[in-house]
Amino acid sequence: MKKILSLILTLCLAAGLISAAVAEDYDPVKEFGSNVLNVYNWGEYIDKDVISRFEKEYKVKVNYSLFSSNEEMYVKLQSGASYDVIVPSDYMIERLIREEKLQAIDKTVVTNLDQLLPEVMGLSYDPDNTYSVPYLWQNFGIVYDTTKIDPETVEEKGWDIFLDPQYAGHAYMYDSQRDSFMMGFKALGYSANTENEEEIQAAYNWLREVDKAVKPAYVTDEVIDAMANGEKWMAVVYSGDAAYILSENEDMGFCAPKQGTNVAYDAMVIPANASNPKLANVFINYVIDYENALAISEEVGYASPNAQVLEELSGPDGDYEGNAAYLPRTGYEKDEVYHDNQTLMTELAELWIKVMLHE
Amino acid sequence: MKSFFRMTYPYILWIAVFIVAPMVMIALYALTRSGNSMLTFQFTLENFAKFLSDPTFMRVLWTSLRIALLTTVFCILIGYPAALFISNMSERKQTMMVLLLTLPMWINMLLKTYAWRGILLNFDLESETKVFIGMVYDFLPYMIIQIHTSISKMDRNLLIASYDLGANKWKTFLKVTLPLSVPGIISGITLVFLPAVSSFVIPKLLGGGDYVLIGNLIEIYFLQAGDWNFGSAISLIMALIIIASMYLTRRMDRNGQEA
Repeated sequence: MKKILSLILTLCLAAGLISAAVAEDYDPVKEFGSNVLNVYNWGEYIDKDVISRFEKEYKVKVNYSLFSSNEEMYVKLQSGASYDVIVPSDYMIERLIREEKLQAIDKTVVTNLDQLLPEVMGLSYDPDNTYSVPYLWQNFGIVYDTTKIDPETVEEKGWDIFLDPQYAGHAYMYDSQRDSFMMGFKALGYSANTENEEEIQAAYNWLREVDKAVKPAYVTDEVIDAMANGEKWMAVVYSGDAAYILSENEDMGFCAPKQGTNVAYDAMVIPANASNPKLANVFINYVIDYENALAISEEVGYASPNAQVLEELSGPDGDYEGNAAYLPRTGYEKDEVYHDNQTLMTELAELWIKVMLHE
Repeated sequence: MKSFFRMTYPYILWIAVFIVAPMVMIALYALTRSGNSMLTFQFTLENFAKFLSDPTFMRVLWTSLRIALLTTVFCILIGYPAALFISNMSERKQTMMVLLLTLPMWINMLLKTYAWRGILLNFDLESETKVFIGMVYDFLPYMIIQIHTSISKMDRNLLIASYDLGANKWKTFLKVTLPLSVPGIISGITLVFLPAVSSFVIPKLLGGGDYVLIGNLIEIYFLQAGDWNFGSAISLIMALIIIASMYLTRRMDRNGQEA
């Protein structure tokens, strides 16, 4: 009898202890004002487990929605939609900062910033990282079939390989005015952000030459599977997608052209109208932490801003060991980040339609 | 009657909020110059002038009209015999056939178009041919159902009377069946031509990047170029073309009925 009684007592005590440990006065609503977090990110750009782990750990609900272009995201934001964390690209962040649509990151909460590479911090779009925390980064380059094209030729010619008629019918171009004009600007030795009318015309003519010389197919995301299947000999793609292509098809190689290219950063920001900025800061800190950054970069194939993750994945026995596309080129002075320029975008879009229509 | 009229209020409200108001905003954007603030309107016709004076845009417009017209004609050529064939069947078989025809419509158009992309990948065809095949496939059921409805509504005694008076099968078709099915063809044309001329998913998926129709142009200006004013102007020009073609088909219908 005594034994049973003491057992019951012990159990009660244990149960009490356990419930105290779980509750521990923690209430997400009390802590953050709400237990809901609205995240707006690119499609296929995360390891879903990171989200569910975060939800469990903080007892919150994450509403995760997707966009497919910065412009689409901007239009949605403009229409008054409220998100707590969004992941735009560099030039879009520049625009959002200028239009005062973002709020500052709380650096007393986001303490994992010290895990990030110095190369991805303090860039021109947000010099002190007041508003943004890097999520993933990459550069634009050429994926090519090493059984058809000699790597040395690609390295030597860079973007100009798209002017060589012997590759007619074997090339993909990316249907994006900004990235395509960047190829032209760089091939001709100009800045990727030039507003000079003569330089724009010259790049336009360069792209028309490409259209005539290699008769490229103009594609978007379908290029990833097509190159993984080896359907054409060369294509322009972002290194994150190239890393996937290279891991699927070992004949493929990647080259960041010698004339220079675009380095693109996607970073997490908190919109000014966010309804749960406190939790947003906690989430951002969580995402850049080693374990989660590792899961995301491993899953997506884009370079992580987390120094240790980057070293591990590209190093010996890492998932992307020997993958020429995983690690973006750094410190190359001809590489540039895009700046926000709406009138330039409109002008390039108009010329780009004409290139695609073979005018 | 008056008490029934009240029941249309929700619908009128619906139209006002979701159709008229957006149209007014599109017109407003189309007629103004871009500025960051909504408050400073600067009225201008330059968006329309830009569209009408640029040979590229005119060519895109022409291609869109041509492919929509071609799609409509092919839908009639394939759809009419099919509808005639179905309406000669027994009542039960007709119901079955109509059900079978509408079956593909239960599947999302995007999925069907992706499926076509996979199929057409294996054939070396012009972009325009691929888009054309996709459009005819997608819009054909609308045409068949419209024509079938008008033929099956027809009084069979008229055919018997025609044969009685000595007309052969061919003449009966030309003088009786065809004229009586004109309303069906007309509503079929409306249901095929209008969505075909403004379609942008099919050309995007089947035509590849270098095949641009007017719907794609609008998308490019809104999303890639960020020029809402010009995008709205193109939308408005499209709306005017659609209204004009609806008016024309209505008139054809009236003339047909009078004759």
